[in-house]
Amino acid sequence: MNNEHTIGSVLVVGGGIGGMQSALDLAEAGFKVYLVDSSPAIGGTMAALDKTFPTNDCSMCIMSPKLVECGRHRNIEIITLADVKSCEGEPGQFKVRVEQLPRFVDAEKCTGCGLCVANCPVRNTPHFEQKAYSPPDLTDEERQKIDAILEPHRKNGGSIVSILQEIHDTFNYLPEHILNHVALAMDIPPSRIYNIVTFYKAFSLKPRGRHIITVCIGTACHVRGAPRILEELERALDIKAGETSEDRQFTLETVACLGACALGPIVVSNGEYKGNMTIVKSAKLISTFKQMEERAVNE
Amino acid sequence: MSDKKIRSSSQLKTLREKHRDRQDSVKQWVTVCGGTGCRAYGCLKVSGALQDEIKSRGLDKEIQVRVTGCHGFCERGPLVVIQPSGVLYQKVKPGEVKEIVEETVIGSRVLDRLLYKHPTSGEKIILEKEVPFYQKQKRLIFGMNGLIDPTRIEDYIANDGYEALARILSGSKPEDVISLIKKANLRGRGGAGFPTGIKWEFCRASAGDVKYLICNCDEGDPGAYMDRSLLEGNPHLVIEGMLIGAYATGASKGYIYVRTEYPLAVLNASIAIEQAQERGFLGDNILGSDFSFDLEISKGAGAFVSGEETALIAAIEGRPPEPEVRPPYPVESGLYQKPTNINNVETWANVPWIVRNGAEAYAAIGTDGSKGTKIFSLVGKINNTGLVEVPMGMSLREIIYDIGGGIPDGREFKAVQTGGPSGGCIPKDLLDLPIDYESLLEAGSMMGSGGMIVMDENTCMVDVARYFLEFLRGESCGKCTSCREGIIAMHDILIKICAGRGEPADLDLLGEIAEAVKAASLCGLGTTAPQPVLSTLRYFRNEYEAHINDRRCPGGVCKELITYRIDPNACTGCMVCVRSCSVKAISGEKKQPHTLNAELCIKCGACREVCKFDAVIVE
Repeated sequence: MNNEHTIGSVLVVGGGIGGMQSALDLAEAGFKVYLVDSSPAIGGTMAALDKTFPTNDCSMCIMSPKLVECGRHRNIEIITLADVKSCEGEPGQFKVRVEQLPRFVDAEKCTGCGLCVANCPVRNTPHFEQKAYSPPDLTDEERQKIDAILEPHRKNGGSIVSILQEIHDTFNYLPEHILNHVALAMDIPPSRIYNIVTFYKAFSLKPRGRHIITVCIGTACHVRGAPRILEELERALDIKAGETSEDRQFTLETVACLGACALGPIVVSNGEYKGNMTIVKSAKLISTFKQMEERAVNE
Repeated sequence: MSDKKIRSSSQLKTLREKHRDRQDSVKQWVTVCGGTGCRAYGCLKVSGALQDEIKSRGLDKEIQVRVTGCHGFCERGPLVVIQPSGVLYQKVKPGEVKEIVEETVIGSRVLDRLLYKHPTSGEKIILEKEVPFYQKQKRLIFGMNGLIDPTRIEDYIANDGYEALARILSGSKPEDVISLIKKANLRGRGGAGFPTGIKWEFCRASAGDVKYLICNCDEGDPGAYMDRSLLEGNPHLVIEGMLIGAYATGASKGYIYVRTEYPLAVLNASIAIEQAQERGFLGDNILGSDFSFDLEISKGAGAFVSGEETALIAAIEGRPPEPEVRPPYPVESGLYQKPTNINNVETWANVPWIVRNGAEAYAAIGTDGSKGTKIFSLVGKINNTGLVEVPMGMSLREIIYDIGGGIPDGREFKAVQTGGPSGGCIPKDLLDLPIDYESLLEAGSMMGSGGMIVMDENTCMVDVARYFLEFLRGESCGKCTSCREGIIAMHDILIKICAGRGEPADLDLLGEIAEAVKAASLCGLGTTAPQPVLSTLRYFRNEYEAHINDRRCPGGVCKELITYRIDPNACTGCMVCVRSCSVKAISGEKKQPHTLNAELCIKCGACREVCKFDAVIVE
């Protein structure tokens, strides 16, 4: 802001941490700032975070001084419960229409004491709704299988990743109720399990098909034409990579590299390596499977 | 039999001689390559048939069948080598086993049709060691792979196995070992090339009641598989290297971290650990000394970033593998906050050789800054796909043309990509570049774990850059905004260019984002992520410009920029392409040139693949 005369006003849309900081910087530079937010108060999502990258500071410690400053700054006008409806014009000459919803509380008089919230017979639903937690229902068979997996790990204090791998092998995917059971049995927060499961490529949270077709998309296979093979398989199965067909017959997956580059492009069908794949061979592979299934149904 | 433990080096010597005698009593042995690549070709059927055939002739006392680790010559698998004569048969099918036993093993006659044929001269080559693919290599580390059965510790012991360990334990001080490795100037084979001896020294100097060693076999670089082949083909070599490292650093516990995509490596390493424990190479009071060390395997689950050392530590601890700020370095505070020394599989495998042959012998190989040999996985558009171990400083031309046998079908070489997603592409005019850590960095690439992906004229360099960013987009852990968002932004621009919607200003923007991502990211993944873009921009800017200005893909890869047509002069009217087309875009009569309806064509490429007369043209 090197302009000598700072005149005019600025509208900041969104009162999260970014919006607040912009509003403060602009206001300090001498602009009149309208800070618009659709929720009843500014602050945004940051308040829900525990720590922030890269310093691991507590997010409220960063935020609260800015909240106060925004509220106090003479150049900032906060417009909450509002949506931007239209924006016309060009830089320097904008006309913005803002629609503000009624608050039903006199903001001038309210001190935010919280008494009315506590005494209101029809409560609002809280912002961050938490699911009520109940122990998952397992069938006897499931319980047996899962106990067999967990038992040796309980003794040795094995890592959660290997537990998840074994569950994945046993059930062909990671069923949610099983994971909840593991969380309870191993005393690990479900959020942490979910964090790990979604981090690794080898885990699936959705049931997978009876036939699992994996296309290697390593660099060597890529330059030898793996993308065309994958496209052909997607077309033949009518699903995208990572998906399972509706009848749960097929799952199409990709893998970063199998290290069998001499055979590239390579496709693994139910654990069997098929090397030097071609578009024609891929189409044939799927049609053979489909014929096999049809025959099985007919018999 | 219950106690097989070896309690002194003299006991080890006796055992070695016993196994050598036993080996010598076998007149001939037939080795079958049992690496993952050859298994995919069906080599186990070949070895099974060999065993049956030899047994049925009652020769199983004199002739032994040995399923070994990867020989490296993956292109021609399944590979069968008859020892001690050294005759190499390639692409062997189970049906040919009977003849091999009858003619070559018993009759000492060579079967001409199973021999390797030189790709250019057409000459048949009988002996394994005379095949040009092997001739120019220097197989210090990898050589034993073809001789031993990785599931038998006896084979390893007979081939000087654990001798280096015994030598260290009888008299060397840990400091001596460290100075030996420093003198040999062994550098980390995982990619960055940090001097191993110095790392060990740091770890030794760090205070801690417990210290850990980790062997990094996460090998996430697509197209690189030398670590896997070492671990699955000669696991005891890696274990011995780790034992020597543990003695030097003072570590008492080690982990081998393997990707789950390598089931055979996991299996063979587990067997090897068990055998080593049984023999007393792992456990308490190894070889009667007061040195104790034990090993465990930890499996990954498919995340590229977990190869980064702090992420790897998190993965072993069972946390999500997100990299952390260094310092503190793992040698000071690593696994469970204890000093931890992490080295790559190949680095560990180098250690026993150095101890056995001395630092001078090792330092005599290679260039000024980079010593010893390096295993590269030579893949992509190359005649001899496989693993090659060459002395540092060999030129790319020698690797690609002399060892690799050049580009298939006489096509033109365009570039070689080294260093995986963190590396770069090296163009044709740098073919005479001697390969070592420094020269690759200078050329805008890096050593990485040693993947070398060869690309020919039918490869689009913009598509290659897009491919790597697509990979990294999925693999970025998301911790740093610059890496998470920057890769997405670059990837989006590349998609746009590949789709023929690029603008000239995009190239500058790409360069700008790349620099920002490089500067602002925390770990190696982020700081090197723009490398594929920067190096292709540096050497192949003309291809980017062709996509943007002429709306043309010179490699004939980018779908939106190419069309298929049939050359009426070359088409013989054989109808094969008509049948292969899934959308019925090709029509024509028998023996009449066919026509391709470009409006219906989905550019799947099936017609080009089936055409024997090269009549389908992509423009």
